[in-house]
Amino acid sequence: MNEQVALKKETQAENNKDFEIRDYLRLDLFPHFMCPGCGHGIALRALLWAIHEQGIDKDKLAIVSGIGCSGRVGTYIDANTFHTTHGRPLAFATGLKMARPDLHVIVITGDGDCLAIGGNHLIHAARRNLDITCLMLNNEIYGMTGGQVSPTTPHDRFTTTTPAGNMEPVFDASRLAEAAGAGFVGRELTIHLPRLRDLISEGLEYKGFSFIEVMSDCTEVNGRKNDLGSSPEMVLGQTRTMRPSEYDNNVVDHPFRPNSMDMGVFVRSDRPEYGESYRNMVDQLQGLTQKGQK
Amino acid sequence: MAKVKKTDNSVMAVLADPPKLDPKETKEPINVLIVGVGGQGVIMVSKVLALICQNLGYEVKQSEVHGMAKRGGVVFSHVRFGSNVWSPTIPMGKADVLIALEWAEGLRWMSYLRPGTGIFIADTKRIVPPFACRSRILGADIGYSKDTPDDVREKVAEAFALDATEMATRAGNERAANTLLLGALSTTLTFPTEEWKKVIAQMVPPKTVDVNLAVFDQGQNWIDGSRKGEPVEGAAFVPLVQPELNSVRNTLEITAEWCKGCDICVKMCPERCLVLNKDQVAELAEPEKCTGCHICEWLCPDFAISLNPITQEAVA
Repeated sequence: MNEQVALKKETQAENNKDFEIRDYLRLDLFPHFMCPGCGHGIALRALLWAIHEQGIDKDKLAIVSGIGCSGRVGTYIDANTFHTTHGRPLAFATGLKMARPDLHVIVITGDGDCLAIGGNHLIHAARRNLDITCLMLNNEIYGMTGGQVSPTTPHDRFTTTTPAGNMEPVFDASRLAEAAGAGFVGRELTIHLPRLRDLISEGLEYKGFSFIEVMSDCTEVNGRKNDLGSSPEMVLGQTRTMRPSEYDNNVVDHPFRPNSMDMGVFVRSDRPEYGESYRNMVDQLQGLTQKGQK
Repeated sequence: MAKVKKTDNSVMAVLADPPKLDPKETKEPINVLIVGVGGQGVIMVSKVLALICQNLGYEVKQSEVHGMAKRGGVVFSHVRFGSNVWSPTIPMGKADVLIALEWAEGLRWMSYLRPGTGIFIADTKRIVPPFACRSRILGADIGYSKDTPDDVREKVAEAFALDATEMATRAGNERAANTLLLGALSTTLTFPTEEWKKVIAQMVPPKTVDVNLAVFDQGQNWIDGSRKGEPVEGAAFVPLVQPELNSVRNTLEITAEWCKGCDICVKMCPERCLVLNKDQVAELAEPEKCTGCHICEWLCPDFAISLNPITQEAVA
């Protein structure tokens, strides 16, 4: 077993060497529409790198994305991409995966898309544990529509709809997915790109619903409104303001972040994968019917 | 005294008639200088020596610098003993024995040795300080001494360079290297071996007494054997391995149309070799500084940067 793991690691490292991101991009659409310094670009690189590391064929790759800045990220990937309605990428992806189990289905969604309008779909996708990789790009705001408050906007943050500071408690998306029954849950910052790549790679490898929360930056809307500094300052500040547990010891409680956020893999369970159980049942039932007919 | 030269890498020079330093015979105090790096056990060596001298009824003065050297900085300790010792520090050129627990430290303090008779015993263990490696380019020159025992052979009367750390590791505990050097030191003095062992057993942690006494013997035998010209067991000096200077010159291919001037690459570059030009587009201002660490490429949200390593041959 260990030899297999070592061999796999070796192949992945070998794969990593010849990673050329432009092989995976729709170059005619570039430069992309995202604002300067937007963390979604870094998250996209991590995703494509992880896909390359896993050696997934572009023809066997299906990217399903919702609405919002995160929804547009999928557009730039040179694969089978599917730009769906607001909040429903997981529902579309569920149907896609059920019909075409041979595809690698990856959902790119945002915090508003996944938790607000699509919260219902998230919990049910997690409950079923169907083999989908869900990448939630959490920039803590509705960026594309002009900076409205989202379910993950931290306390006291200024947004267009909360001019005196946000007073709603936030969702911890990873804990939500965990509680709903997702088989694989992890969270990482965009500044830790190699770690993010490894996390996504693990999620792609996992058979079951893998929920990956990427802590991204919204520099133009969130950053500007809350005086979080320039793009490099926001990227550098991730380790400090988002407070992963390893930096937690000496940091005083940050006014914008009520809770310290830990990073890494939270859940990796061996729950049965829904698609497989479903097909088993179909086989069983068909077998039974044939038997009965005989 | 005739000087016998050895070609062996680790036995640098041996005097035909090695002096046995006896405090009873000299009016002046005997000076032993112990140098090394924080954490190696310099102070322990000097304490053992001082305690033995005290037990044998000599006057001892010991003076040391440690404190801020904790784990990695310079530590030295002067031990002077005899019938009368007035000053606690050894003047330059008056040390009878120089014990170095680290190779470069030994070379640094060599001028303290008494010309003609001073005995130099050094561990060839190299602890390269971070400030010796300022350039992050692979294969860049480091500031650590590149001298081998052959290079400094002419400067010393009697000298031994043994890989005490490696020998102690083989004996079971890397941290016993200082006791091995105590064994080496004991051959230059007239104190009885029992006295040395008694004090060492008293000073080291109880669990490590056996290994410490074993390496003490090893150190004694090493020097005695070398002086007699016998082949001695022990690790020889391993020259510093420096990787070849990276022949890869990195160029950044920056797609200007894609760059939005977010400044991330400029601020995140550890070598500060990128700038934003007047069009607010990232530009590699100092290509020779680039180490190819990929940070700009990885953190560029617009995929505008790609690192292309070009070998020098291809450039030429």
